Amino acid sequence: MSDPETVTDTASLAEIDRLIHEPARLSLVALLYVIESADFTFLMNQTGLTWGNLSAHMSKLEEAGYIEVEKTFKGKRPNTLLRLTAKGREAFQNYRQKMKQVLDELPE
Amino acid sequence: MTQKLNLKEIERKAFRSTFQDGLWDIYLGLVVIFMALFLFRPDEGYSPWNLLLMLVGFGTSFLIFWAGKKFITVPRMGQVSFGPLRKRKATTLAIIMGVVIIIQVAVVLFSVGGWLDDDLAAKLNALLGEANMERLAVAAIGSLFVGPSMILVAYFNDFPRGYYIAILMSAAVFLMILLNQPIYAVIIGALIILPGLVLFIRFLQKYPLPKRGDS
Repeated sequence: MSDPETVTDTASLAEIDRLIHEPARLSLVALLYVIESADFTFLMNQTGLTWGNLSAHMSKLEEAGYIEVEKTFKGKRPNTLLRLTAKGREAFQNYRQKMKQVLDELPE
Repeated sequence: MTQKLNLKEIERKAFRSTFQDGLWDIYLGLVVIFMALFLFRPDEGYSPWNLLLMLVGFGTSFLIFWAGKKFITVPRMGQVSFGPLRKRKATTLAIIMGVVIIIQVAVVLFSVGGWLDDDLAAKLNALLGEANMERLAVAAIGSLFVGPSMILVAYFNDFPRGYYIAILMSAAVFLMILLNQPIYAVIIGALIILPGLVLFIRFLQKYPLPKRGDS
């Protein structure tokens, strides 16, 4: 027979948002959570991700509705601004809560 | 709790990165130098030209700062807009600085009024004693105008180098008035600019222009 507490712990782990849990995306979402908006260059410099990696992760987050992309022009140069949506903000808060819960439940 | 602290640290790191280019140091150092070169003319006497040239100097310093941010820093480092916490801090700083400036103007007007009033001037002169004491008092008031204001700017902008700049700016004004020489302020201005230039060169090396056209 399985221990009911173990079942609960496993359930908590399964509730972790895998989209955010990936380390590169986690650093991106955490950064976007504490600022209002930023462009690709700023995010690349802060996270240390390459252009291709950042673009791929941003596409996944945009598909999930976690970030919104605003394409503008600075003079003649295109400029892409990224910000966390309300859904993304809520997802990150839930992620933090779940992770804290899971880590707190771990035995010493 | 740890997670909350980490998020604060992420935000602070991102915010402080905007000071890595050393442009603030260069700007404030130039302000000190222009102040010393154009405003300080105790022997020749003050004229509207002093004030005008100083304002042109301040304008040039700001133009260098603005152009540096727009054409050098932002294309390399990227564009960022910070959250409500920073906006609140900026508003609080603006309000406090407004109050500080009003207090400073009041102190200047009170001092001028005091020295123009014969009775009060006699009392002040008796209180301060010799001419050196008078100069010491003016130097102290001048440095008290500059130092605390810069400390406030450093505190609200999370700008640790600002405290060092505040001490140097205070010292520049104090020595310039006390020793009756602009050279000390010029040297101190150079001492503020120097770390800024080092940071600026390091910034250019650390952040080359991105190769892609889209930022």
